[in-house]
Amino acid sequence: MPALFIAPALAVLLSLSIYPLIYSVTISLQKETPGGVVWGIGNFARLVSDSFFLTAMAHTFVYAVAALTCEFLLGLGLALLLNSQIRGRGIFRASLLVPMMLPAVVVGVVWRLMLNPNFGAINGTLKQFGLNTESLTWTASPKLAMVSVIAVDVWQWTPFVFLVLLAGLQAIPQEPYEAALIDGSSRWQTFRHVTLPLLKPSILIVLLLRTMDLLRVFDQIFILTEGGPGFATETISLYIYRTAFRFFDFGYAAAMSFVLLALTNVISAIYIKFLQAKEEI
Amino acid sequence: MNHKGTKNTKSNKRGSLSVLRVFVVRNLRYVLLFPALVFALAPVYWMLTISLKTEVDQFATPPPWFGFTPTLAHYYDAFVTRSFGEYLLNSAIVAVASTACALVIGTLAAYALARFQLPWSLNRRLSLWILSTRMFPAIVTAVPLFLMMRDFRLLNTLASLIIVYTAFNLPFVVWMMRGFFAELPRDLEEAALVDGDSRLGALVRVVLPLVAPGLAATAVFCLIVSWNEFLFALVLTQTDAAMTLPVGIAGRVTQFEIKWGVMSAAATVAIVPILVFALALQKYLVRGLSMGAVKG
Repeated sequence: MPALFIAPALAVLLSLSIYPLIYSVTISLQKETPGGVVWGIGNFARLVSDSFFLTAMAHTFVYAVAALTCEFLLGLGLALLLNSQIRGRGIFRASLLVPMMLPAVVVGVVWRLMLNPNFGAINGTLKQFGLNTESLTWTASPKLAMVSVIAVDVWQWTPFVFLVLLAGLQAIPQEPYEAALIDGSSRWQTFRHVTLPLLKPSILIVLLLRTMDLLRVFDQIFILTEGGPGFATETISLYIYRTAFRFFDFGYAAAMSFVLLALTNVISAIYIKFLQAKEEI
Repeated sequence: MNHKGTKNTKSNKRGSLSVLRVFVVRNLRYVLLFPALVFALAPVYWMLTISLKTEVDQFATPPPWFGFTPTLAHYYDAFVTRSFGEYLLNSAIVAVASTACALVIGTLAAYALARFQLPWSLNRRLSLWILSTRMFPAIVTAVPLFLMMRDFRLLNTLASLIIVYTAFNLPFVVWMMRGFFAELPRDLEEAALVDGDSRLGALVRVVLPLVAPGLAATAVFCLIVSWNEFLFALVLTQTDAAMTLPVGIAGRVTQFEIKWGVMSAAATVAIVPILVFALALQKYLVRGLSMGAVKG
């Protein structure tokens, strides 16, 4: 009986998640040549010497680390601010959540309209205040493009960090705070020794989920810059997409996607180890 | 915990300045939150204005945030003259169909995992395995799924997207529903079983009505995910007959000459259902977004 209940789900996942992975392994080990298909590890060997691949990896790391840091600090700050009795909290909360509910494509459209050097709202408003915006071409500038796409990610996903951390804060009982108050600890001490340790599980979870998403980022960058100008914002997912669906080199794309998969697995394993260590104490 | 500022203990003798300072410190939270609010909402509002502005107003400097004459011409252009109406319908069909499939298949599995004692601690192992399939970066499965769909001649069909989104939402449904079932006392369904109901009968007649709010929240999450999804839709559909709204919008963005008004109108329409849904399930938001991963 239980088997009948679970079988459909297993069948779907085996055929649409596991089988594609196996299929992907086989194509990553093949190379099309004029003389037919050749098997080997050529696609993986190519990774090491492909400077585009290495640059895309570097971009992905820069993007992930910068966005994660900003989102975490801002999200934590907002959560601390809103974790108290203030008027209009519901409205603040609901409004802050709007960005993260938007489809990534819409986020891309919104920020193309904001950042457009000619008629965008940001440069237009800066000009109104008498600032020279000629060099501020945002996503079109090789220097500012990366900053721009990171800022957009921060705009969209800080609310998520905020939401999870706020829920974590609200689950902390009052007693430790009362004890800290009696001990006469300063606000910083209370935050450092009471709030942070009790919030740690929520922090780790939100960092884990954000890291996974940041490492695979595709949608907004695709809309905002398509990886450009030049190669300035090409992340690993974009490079895999380009390799597969513009150059039709599926084998090499599959090989690169396994590097991404291994990377996300290793990082999530580390986070989960920290989480479990926390639970055992 | 109240984090009220203590900085105002610093003495400042200069009358009005000190009053201002006390006011700012007292209301520090609002002073800090207000810019955050503007920062979160202004860009979306800007897009809304672009969708309602004539081309002259769109390119005007300084940018008119308020006080322009609104027009619905871009909406007409997008949804009547161009194919965005079709994309909208495609998106709706794909979202509803894949959500329905994922709910039926996922709820059955979740019920079994929550209620039956499986051998070899399979309950825990299967649950974790199901969750792990959700963790693959989309681009990893996009490449082989494209080739599989090509082999089955399913490229550029709504069916391909429905199938892929069902698999994509399934782990999420299993985890959410498993949690809701586990919270439910067993007595009620056991009574139904004693009364001669089958397991499936007890599930449908007794258990499901009790978890209806959770089921609804799960459904709304699946709808949002399917509605927003971009990468698979981009890879699997390129024709008007199967293109979803996000891909349709993206196609306009990357074209050489961009119709900003049309694009903004389509994007504005794309976010309406999302905002309605999101408001409906604020209560379940955290749980849904951390996908039950907390319970690992």
